[in-house]
Amino acid sequence: MKTTAADIMTTNFSTLLPQTPVIDAIRIFQGSFNKQGRRLFGMIVSDEEQHLVGMLSMYDILLYLRPKHIHVWGSMEDLEIAGVIDAAGSRIKSILVGDIMTPDVVTVGPNANLMMVLDTMIKKHVRRLPVVEEQRIIGIVYISDLFSQLLERISD
Amino acid sequence: MVQFNRKSTLRNLTVNDAMRRQIIQLDQAKTIDLGINVLIKYKVNALLTVDSQGKPVGVVSKTDVMGAYYAGLPVESPLEYIMVSPPLFCRSGDSLETALEQMRTSGVYRLYVTDNEPGDLVGALAYPDIVGLLYQYCHQCEYSHLKTSRESHQDDSVRRFNVREVMTPSVKSIGAGETLNTVMETLSAFRFGAMLVTDENGCPRGVISKTDLALNYKHGVDPGVAAHTVMSGPVSTCDVDSLLEEAIKKMTMIDIHRLFVHEGEMSNIVGVLSLSDAARVRSGSCYACVSSRIKVEDHG
Repeated sequence: MKTTAADIMTTNFSTLLPQTPVIDAIRIFQGSFNKQGRRLFGMIVSDEEQHLVGMLSMYDILLYLRPKHIHVWGSMEDLEIAGVIDAAGSRIKSILVGDIMTPDVVTVGPNANLMMVLDTMIKKHVRRLPVVEEQRIIGIVYISDLFSQLLERISD
Repeated sequence: MVQFNRKSTLRNLTVNDAMRRQIIQLDQAKTIDLGINVLIKYKVNALLTVDSQGKPVGVVSKTDVMGAYYAGLPVESPLEYIMVSPPLFCRSGDSLETALEQMRTSGVYRLYVTDNEPGDLVGALAYPDIVGLLYQYCHQCEYSHLKTSRESHQDDSVRRFNVREVMTPSVKSIGAGETLNTVMETLSAFRFGAMLVTDENGCPRGVISKTDLALNYKHGVDPGVAAHTVMSGPVSTCDVDSLLEEAIKKMTMIDIHRLFVHEGEMSNIVGVLSLSDAARVRSGSCYACVSSRIKVEDHG
């Protein structure tokens, strides 16, 4: 039976460099389904030596795209949303992954058991956990894979 | 009957009405590099620094980051090297007028807000937030320009502020070949938030803001490079005779802090209007705003 992070992690994952333009990262997100058969919503950011330096998630990108003053838009009817989206898209072109990534990333070791992984994901509100051994990233555990594994055992 | 007067729209409003409840803060031991990440990601001009016990100890603004870039400080240096101490506070129940006065006399753009218990941080108050609140009132108001232009049967006799009355009438620009160091020296000397970059004919070609400078610092760009290599364009402008309400709307919608103001030809820049300028007017976008705001409150 699969009981540890190493058992359910995927070792086929893309990483980004901090100096990669966010617009290139967005294209990798878009192309992820074809390449890995999985729609990605977050990617590991590492340096050239495969040391973890952060994570770029869909949320980081959405946070940057969100207009700063949206709380005052209220019930305005005269919004030109297409123009607003274009302006945000234009601004993101000068932004690099390292500018908006989340640098403090929660990780697990390969021997962490599945219930510890589950607990960490719930407590820290994360859906993916890099698996790190001797400061190198060796895999990534997705919440969907954890869920599938647990369901499989329970429904047996 | 509508009474036209210039009493402040902010009267009777409290800090609690305008503040942001999300406080962007970092440990003072964290790096400037991480600080820039946070400033960019959360689109704020400054962050609060705290000590290891979480007690607020200072503020790091984009101006401070620019100073570090100019001084050649490594971007891995801790925030405590460049923070300004102590942070300034107001109470959530203080009137907005009082808070604005405190900001003006202290020469700061931001106050941190405590609840009635000292040390109990509940938010942050910055100029753009005050403009946002005013814009909300203006938009809901029955005298709103946007509303009256839709209902053309109404006589739009309300006198409105235009950009000319509120803008800062002097604009400093630099040539596209000048270095980032010169940009930083000029921004610092004139206390501007952004610099207009012009070509050899004096035509505006781009803008370098403190945000651009912070990003270039983080990206390791040599401050000796020419302005045109890092400027952002095109320049966002508005006409000097356009309505303040329209200009604020434009800035609020597309997330920019300032518009360069042209008169006649687009290349004839005669001033700059920032959200902070709009907040300093301490009023809404027309002279009828005191009575209209009271109406909005009655409905609330």
